Amino acid sequence: MATTADTFQAHAEEHHHDADHKPGFFARWFMSTNHKDIGTLYLIFSIIAGVIGGGISGIMRAELAEPGLQVLGHVVNFLGGDGASFDQQGHMWNVLITAHGLIMVFFMVMPAMIGGFGNWFVPIMIGAPDMAFPRMNNISFWLTVAGFCSLLFSLFVPGGTGLGAGTGWTVYAPLSTSGSVGPAVDFAIFSLHLAGAGSILGATNFITTIFNMRAPGMTLHKMPLFVWSVLVTAFLLLLALPVLAAAITMLITDRNFGTTFFDPAGGGDPILYQHLFWFFGHPEVYIMILPGFGMISQIIATFSRKPVFGYLGMAYAMVAIGVVGFIVWAHHMYTVGLDVNTKMYFTAATMVIAVPTGIKIFSWIATMWGGSIQFKSPMVWAMGFIFLFTVGGVTGVVLANGGIDDNLHDTYYVVAHFHYVLSLGAVTSMFAGFYYWFPKMSGKMHSEFLSHLQFWIFFVGVNMIFFPMHFLGLQGMARRYPDFTAAYAEWNHVASIGYAITLVSVGVFFVNIVYAFVAGKKAPSNYWGEGATTLEWSLTSPPPFHQFETLPVIEDHHSADDHISTKPATA
Amino acid sequence: MESFDAMTFGDIARKPLTFLTMLVAAVSFTAAPQAVFAQDQTVTAPIEAPVDAAPADESAPAAEAAAPAFEHYGPDMIKGQPTPGGIGFQDQYTANGNYALWMHDAILLPISVVISLFVLGLLLWVIARYNRRSNTVPSKTSHNTLIEIIWTVIPVLILVVIAVPSITLISRQYKSPPENAITIKANGYQWYWGYEYIDNGGFEVISNMMPEEEAKAAGEPSHLAVDNRMVVPVGVPIRLQTFGADVIHSFGIPSLWFKIDAVPGRINERVLTIQEPGIYYGQCMELCGARHGYMPIAIEARPLEEFNAWVLSQPGGTTPELEAAAAAAEAAAAEAAAGEGDANANEAPAAGTEAVAPDAIAPTI
Amino acid sequence: MSQTATLDTRNRRTMVFAFLAALGMLGLGFASVPLYRLFCQVTGFAGTTQRASDADADLAERFAASAGGATYSIRFDANTERDMPWDFKPLQRTDTVTIGQRDMAIFVVRNNSSVPITGTATFNVEPEQAGAYFNKIQCFCFTEQTLQPGQEVRMPVLYYVDAKALDDPNMDEVEQITLSYTFHRALDQDSASEGEGES
Repeated sequence: MATTADTFQAHAEEHHHDADHKPGFFARWFMSTNHKDIGTLYLIFSIIAGVIGGGISGIMRAELAEPGLQVLGHVVNFLGGDGASFDQQGHMWNVLITAHGLIMVFFMVMPAMIGGFGNWFVPIMIGAPDMAFPRMNNISFWLTVAGFCSLLFSLFVPGGTGLGAGTGWTVYAPLSTSGSVGPAVDFAIFSLHLAGAGSILGATNFITTIFNMRAPGMTLHKMPLFVWSVLVTAFLLLLALPVLAAAITMLITDRNFGTTFFDPAGGGDPILYQHLFWFFGHPEVYIMILPGFGMISQIIATFSRKPVFGYLGMAYAMVAIGVVGFIVWAHHMYTVGLDVNTKMYFTAATMVIAVPTGIKIFSWIATMWGGSIQFKSPMVWAMGFIFLFTVGGVTGVVLANGGIDDNLHDTYYVVAHFHYVLSLGAVTSMFAGFYYWFPKMSGKMHSEFLSHLQFWIFFVGVNMIFFPMHFLGLQGMARRYPDFTAAYAEWNHVASIGYAITLVSVGVFFVNIVYAFVAGKKAPSNYWGEGATTLEWSLTSPPPFHQFETLPVIEDHHSADDHISTKPATA
Repeated sequence: MESFDAMTFGDIARKPLTFLTMLVAAVSFTAAPQAVFAQDQTVTAPIEAPVDAAPADESAPAAEAAAPAFEHYGPDMIKGQPTPGGIGFQDQYTANGNYALWMHDAILLPISVVISLFVLGLLLWVIARYNRRSNTVPSKTSHNTLIEIIWTVIPVLILVVIAVPSITLISRQYKSPPENAITIKANGYQWYWGYEYIDNGGFEVISNMMPEEEAKAAGEPSHLAVDNRMVVPVGVPIRLQTFGADVIHSFGIPSLWFKIDAVPGRINERVLTIQEPGIYYGQCMELCGARHGYMPIAIEARPLEEFNAWVLSQPGGTTPELEAAAAAAEAAAAEAAAGEGDANANEAPAAGTEAVAPDAIAPTI
Repeated sequence: MSQTATLDTRNRRTMVFAFLAALGMLGLGFASVPLYRLFCQVTGFAGTTQRASDADADLAERFAASAGGATYSIRFDANTERDMPWDFKPLQRTDTVTIGQRDMAIFVVRNNSSVPITGTATFNVEPEQAGAYFNKIQCFCFTEQTLQPGQEVRMPVLYYVDAKALDDPNMDEVEQITLSYTFHRALDQDSASEGEGES
């Protein structure tokens, strides 16, 4: 990275000639080193991945709409298999759930939250001209794309009973080793390697940027909460992903090179894989939700026209969630045969997480309390987030109890829980952030009407999909089943209808984007008004290609919250 | 403690739901090719295929002519199964299950609902009271140590309230089986279960899913009914051990609050005491490959005498008493053995008096 | 420009620290394999049995003398992996042992296939908390076993239950300990023989 300084200097020198000088199309979008362009790439990538992952859930909901197998045969035929074979259909189901999980986690939520919004706004919010390592930033993005291609490729190569990797996103051994012959699982695992490497590089970049490139006066305790959330997330990525990398590398060698890390025949232990996976996997769920927390904090403060309530508590609640997130992993493994003390420990430790999470929920409400709230679309999405995340949170407390989980483990109750915190939580916060910053990123105002409309359709749709899943889970319906007994038909049918509604809301989303680009009004610098106080609102919409070439100075405000005022950066 | 599945939402919801279905289907047709897929009823999936293909032929324990006749429970004895439109846990038939059900229904669920409604109420209040029209000048408050302490301490107290029964429940679930518990091993295979009756001669019952039509004809729920049930004694502790022969499976019975993974290379063990005779359905609960969804579990819990009678009807089946008697007889004299065997053979069928199901004692020739 | 240079140095330093942390976690991920094994062996986690020498056994026997002849019932469990064409059964289903006293259990193994097969056994005890107190002095599971076609072998395990179990409140209710073995096909055999194995 020796060239970084040169790049940096070059920018500093040429800024007075042309601050908005952009490279040609190919150089700009394929060799991009500009954090805003890379952020845009990430967002577009994430939308594409989201459409594919969401399409897969459409196939799954269509299959589950009625008892029996109606759809999977078509899918197998479509992908060039023999759809008449029962085993191929069952395998295809497993491939779909695997692809849906991996795509949504690694190629939709993470790229959007960290790659997209993080890249766009972390440098701006701390008053930095760009990320610390712009070229590494570019590598991160293209590694993620390569990972996605590897995952998609895995769908078309043999993976045991049929085409594709049917191991679940958890890739448990021995199903993923001796249980799945064929290269599909290797490609799926390799895609995680690539995406993981991209994320680790990205995390390093964020940590460096946030630690070293803050504008004068921007102390850690003055950073906007979104920056805090990305910082904590980056540390989680940095510490959790290498463990996943190690675990899945051992899977690869177990599969191909005769090692027996997880094979009991050679003295390995398949349970160890689960320990390693969830040591990564639990922080991973916080990786997916923490940037959402950060965005929600910004949005709530903006539209309440109040500084965030209990700023330090909010920041350190995220740190606490991150730290505790590393010591609760085995609550995903309550039924593997843990001994009694281990199970009690993980029950207690898991419940502890409810405390910092509760602090955040109540602090958001306290931020609104006494505020002068304007219900613009990001605010509506943010308030929806708070409620939906609370519902997902309380079912999390139910599941935290090892004894209760004995009945709910691997049922639809779990599916309902993690979709409430992720699909309805993380995704809702992403839409909130999108509408909050879209005019800033594009320079065009979206339609507030369509944004509100999308929220309400989405709210009804996703609740209709996922709330009945609680009932299914309580009634004992197992997850990862393509087919079910007649008693589960009603709620599954309701959920499938909910999917159709949600699909409409996604349609509204795209209409809204098209509207903004075609007919949207030009966005002013600060289109949300006086509540919006962070640094991005001091820049034009869209911001100049290179911003803050003279670093802004953050005034020492009397209160140490993220209520920041800036001196105009005069050249 | 009653569970919540008595309130079946299905009946109330069906009419508006049908309407909504049509409405939304109409909308989604235009937008969603997947939704069109769902309506495509022309494909008939070969649902019976797994059972035909599965290696059921391994040791189908056909009733031997010599063995005492044994009549399995009919569908009227089904107790542990999902309720159409049910919204709560299945009724529980173990002491731990009832305790856990009580803990969920009386503690966790109310707390969850109250917290969710409390947050919702606060949001609504904030919307009503602090919108820009009602409150034009925002306050500048951004700290209040007291309230921050309160919303840290109260959740901690709530968690303590939850933790007490939670820890109690775990310790009860981990109670070790007594020495004389009847040991049954559930072996998970791709994709069927094998039940090994360790203390009863060591025979293994291979259990495959029943084809859908057959299950319907038998009055049993499809996807849950099996050809050979796991027959277990009721009211006595069972040392249930699980083992995965190929990949990880999971032995889960919702109505018994019982779930334990079947892991290759090791056994897991829990004690299971079923309180009532009946049929309890469960399924494999850990992704195990293409037919993961098609390896159900059906437990048939019978009074001990009937269980013993069933055991004797199995090839190689024996009871510890019989074994002991046989050993004693062997030690005593050769001719005594015949007499002992007769005595026990007479004892077994006589035990059926307690049977609850009328058709369980129907004569079979 | 000196300030920019300083920033660059600081950036690189931070990056190196971050990469080192990531590398450390990667190393920890791989190191977890031996560490987990060691952890299980030391603490009996996941029902891992202990390995004892004759001297340990003698010592334990002397300590146990004060236990007043308390006993445990031991159950013996034998499994084979699915593609392992061996019959594997304990000679005795259960046995009662006095705490601290050495006892011998015999398992009978028979190779039903037409080729010689090498097997390796994994093991655990249930309830899991008994793992810390279940000591093996000799066991067929310590080494790989090769059986000729049709060969039947009796395999012994020499073990004792440590008297420390009596001091562990988690062991209070335990009446019976199951010692379980699973025979796997050892992996270093050529795959040619695998196809011939019939089950």
